[in-house]
Amino acid sequence: MQSPLRIVIVGGGTAGWMTAAAFASVLAPGRQQIRLIESSEIGIVGVGEATLPHIRFFNRRIGIDERELMAKTQATFKLGIEFVDWARIGDSYIHPFGAYGSRIAGVPFHHYWLRQRAAGDTSDIAEYSLPIVASRANRFALPSEDPKDVMSTFGYAFQFDASLYARYLRSFSEARGVRRTDAKIVDVKLRGEDGWVESLKLDSGELVTGDLFIDCSGFRGLLIEQALKTGYDEWTQWLPCDRAMAVPCENSGPLTPYTRATAREAGWQWRIPLQHRMGNGYVYGSNFISDDEAATKLLSRLEGKALATPRPLRFTTGRRKKTWNRNVVAIGLAGGFLEPLESTSIYLIQIAITTLADYLTARAIDEHEFDPRTVAAYNRWMDMEYERVRDFLVLHYHATERDDAPIWNYCRNMRIPDSLAHKMELFRARAHVISYKDGLFLEPSWLAVYFGQRVIPQDYDLRADAMEPVEAEMQLGRIREKIQGAVGRMPSHEDFLRHYCPASEPTEAGSNA
Amino acid sequence: MSPIRNVLVAGAGPEAWIVATGLLRAFRRQQLEVSVVDAGSTADARIGRWTLPSQRGVHALLGIAEPHLVQHTGATFRLATEHLGWQGEGSRFLHAHGDIGVEISGAPFYKYIQREILAGRQERAEAYSLAGTAARLGKFARPMGEGGSVTASFTYGFHFEEAAYSQYLRAHALRQGVREAPAPLAEALRTDGGGIDGVLLADGSRMVADYYIDCSGPAARLISCLASDERDDWSNWLACDGMWSALGPAMLEPPAMTQTSATDAGWLWRAPLANASMVGHVFSSKFLDEASARQALAAFEPGLREPRLTRFAAGRRRRCWVKNCLAIGAAAVELEPLAGADLHLALIGLGTFIELFPRDVASEIEAAEYNRVMAEHADALRDFTLAHYRAGAARAGKFWEATREQPLPGRLAEKLDLYAANGRISLLDHESFEETDWAWLLIGSGLKPDSLELQMQVQIAKLRPADTAAMRTHVQQVAASMPPHMEFVRRQAPSSPRRPG
Repeated sequence: MQSPLRIVIVGGGTAGWMTAAAFASVLAPGRQQIRLIESSEIGIVGVGEATLPHIRFFNRRIGIDERELMAKTQATFKLGIEFVDWARIGDSYIHPFGAYGSRIAGVPFHHYWLRQRAAGDTSDIAEYSLPIVASRANRFALPSEDPKDVMSTFGYAFQFDASLYARYLRSFSEARGVRRTDAKIVDVKLRGEDGWVESLKLDSGELVTGDLFIDCSGFRGLLIEQALKTGYDEWTQWLPCDRAMAVPCENSGPLTPYTRATAREAGWQWRIPLQHRMGNGYVYGSNFISDDEAATKLLSRLEGKALATPRPLRFTTGRRKKTWNRNVVAIGLAGGFLEPLESTSIYLIQIAITTLADYLTARAIDEHEFDPRTVAAYNRWMDMEYERVRDFLVLHYHATERDDAPIWNYCRNMRIPDSLAHKMELFRARAHVISYKDGLFLEPSWLAVYFGQRVIPQDYDLRADAMEPVEAEMQLGRIREKIQGAVGRMPSHEDFLRHYCPASEPTEAGSNA
Repeated sequence: MSPIRNVLVAGAGPEAWIVATGLLRAFRRQQLEVSVVDAGSTADARIGRWTLPSQRGVHALLGIAEPHLVQHTGATFRLATEHLGWQGEGSRFLHAHGDIGVEISGAPFYKYIQREILAGRQERAEAYSLAGTAARLGKFARPMGEGGSVTASFTYGFHFEEAAYSQYLRAHALRQGVREAPAPLAEALRTDGGGIDGVLLADGSRMVADYYIDCSGPAARLISCLASDERDDWSNWLACDGMWSALGPAMLEPPAMTQTSATDAGWLWRAPLANASMVGHVFSSKFLDEASARQALAAFEPGLREPRLTRFAAGRRRRCWVKNCLAIGAAAVELEPLAGADLHLALIGLGTFIELFPRDVASEIEAAEYNRVMAEHADALRDFTLAHYRAGAARAGKFWEATREQPLPGRLAEKLDLYAANGRISLLDHESFEETDWAWLLIGSGLKPDSLELQMQVQIAKLRPADTAAMRTHVQQVAASMPPHMEFVRRQAPSSPRRPG
């Protein structure tokens, strides 16, 4: 009879409780003991608030009821992200959770659209995306399962209060046997023979031993960095923002089913509508603006009354050299930081958790041994995930025509990763989008940002010429009509929320960021 | 802007005719003209080949009716390859073109086979595979029915005799409007700018095109004159560099299956045709001289007609698209035919070229992307081929020992390491062989993971012995109800509306 795997999670923010909830429900029930150590004296960053559609797979896998989750976290629906003022001041585009049209004769839809544009068509690519049209109309309905229905052409995510999310996951986890300890960690003891983490000493004097330690301690990386000195790859040369200021405000106007990111003089501002309030924040580079000025600018641009004083955050964009080192796996900010421009924080947590669960073997659980070959494969996978998100974020900063502020001049002229440069060149030349098997962001995402940031292709796929212009015009018109018809039948986002997942009155102000 | 209005394809084998017809049909509306010039090299061409299921897609793309093709080329079908002796004398396994069982709550069924084998119980993937079971029973039928049903759980490839297939494809190409040069290729001419300027024909005339495709085999008669011969050499991993192949007498009711047998310096293969058989000996000349290799083939199959020798050097050209010239087939990548993927790689090359077809021949970004993508495809095929030599127990002998001594390419080492650690099959971008193919190969090779993914095993634990017994019985019954392979081949009606090729 083997002893159960003792999993110790350090930190109780979004990452810590997501890990606890997932492992408690699916990892190895009956063969594991999960302990989470958090200190109520240490604030959590509460990263997230805005998510990607992938979170629904996570919820389904671990058995979270979506409506209950939404009601308990003041959640709203999200069909995409609006980007304002990115390529030029005055611009606006939406990165939708869904496709533009559909392939015709094996050729992606946008080539036909480009061809019709060249022939004088004035329609916008956004008119061929249902989630964009629905977003602009502030409408929402659940997608259809029928692939022939235009209502099947989109996905959705949530915008929620991250502290309420952590609280919800805490009760979910505790109900499944996770033991929570409110304490600070004062010392980390490593095993002599191999440097694995052996135990944590708490401020209560207790010694917590474990087999697998999950470091969700945030930026400082209590185990992965302070104890194991794993090292960090900085990406600040491509993503120069290193601070954020966050503040909630009162809602005003209709609840939008999308997040907004507005480019500013030294970074960008987020706007995330929840049922009870609006989350706001300013992500900026400290080289380009002072903290005080950032706070003043942020407050002056709120749509409603501020509900707190702005809370500052500091970060270094990049990724830990290994997110799994010995018997420590860093998840969340302890593993790396990429600014929330594309709402990827919770995705990166989720993918770390599910990949770890997928890679663990019966032997790892029962004999507490982690095969170095498995560890290496996990680290390669996570590197790939972080790097694909990074390149996509860099595109937003680099593909701009703005010359009104130093940060934009820097980003416009910076040398970007070769892989991204090749992708952009290929799109500019012939609207060809490079696809890959794994990792975030499929063709529609790249299209949205390319077109939205004025990366204009000089040409399109020659095969699109095979369709008669009259036929192409008809097909395009039909798609637009279908989408308009479907959106016309959708209820308003607020009405849908009221029926589907009304939240109770907030008991206390939600967290920031 | 200089558009591509006409393309000249150099070659004589299936690649040339497939590429020519495929391009013509893809850009018919643009009135693309395509010609083929015979680049010789048929004398040392192999006797025939086996293909992957993607060849069905090629036929559909070219507008070829399959029954007609089979009827007129003497081709047979192929549900699987059986590999004998690769992991030592007496070892054998099947790689079938079909699913292994059905998914259990998101867990692929092969995870069950892994568990059983690890527990020391006798289980074979083929018992849960209609393709595998039918191949063993000598049965064949085309897949049918809804996805998810066992009758739709497989696909198939072909066995072709090279000359018959080429002739058929040529006739089809000419009917479709591909033109044929009046005389064979003499030499390619080069521009100062580093592209192809035109070709001289054997009759002294000259042909010029906007774009050139080199399907001339290892000789690479067009692209090799562009001073772009940098290659990735794979011969340290894949030491075989020659193949004797020949036609032999027809087999008695052969199954829809290719067979390979490891030898002291390579491997022998045997594949059925409608009225004959094909055999070959792939060998390393470092370990066996050509005459002895020929003798080994003769001993393997008495009564051979005129064996022919094909030489090759495993590796790939770093740039398969240079200026106005593209290499497809062995002109681009040389790899022993173990995986049956040569025509598949040519198809990928054609498809990628069509997708990147430049409006302006001077544009260079397309070539960069093509070369990037095709390098990954080629490396993936190399890895899959090499894994046959490297997974599982080692076969004895100098050739095999030398092969095992080489450090693996990094990407294959990572794949096999992860599998050995937890039974997981990880795929990179642009891998033609999918998870199930690797499962056939790795489970078949006897490579045993040290432990198994817990999440998968939790799902697999839902299977009861009665469930797996019922699955085996069902597969067995459906396979038994299929017609014998050769009966199916003979039944390919000559009633197609097309005229014979």
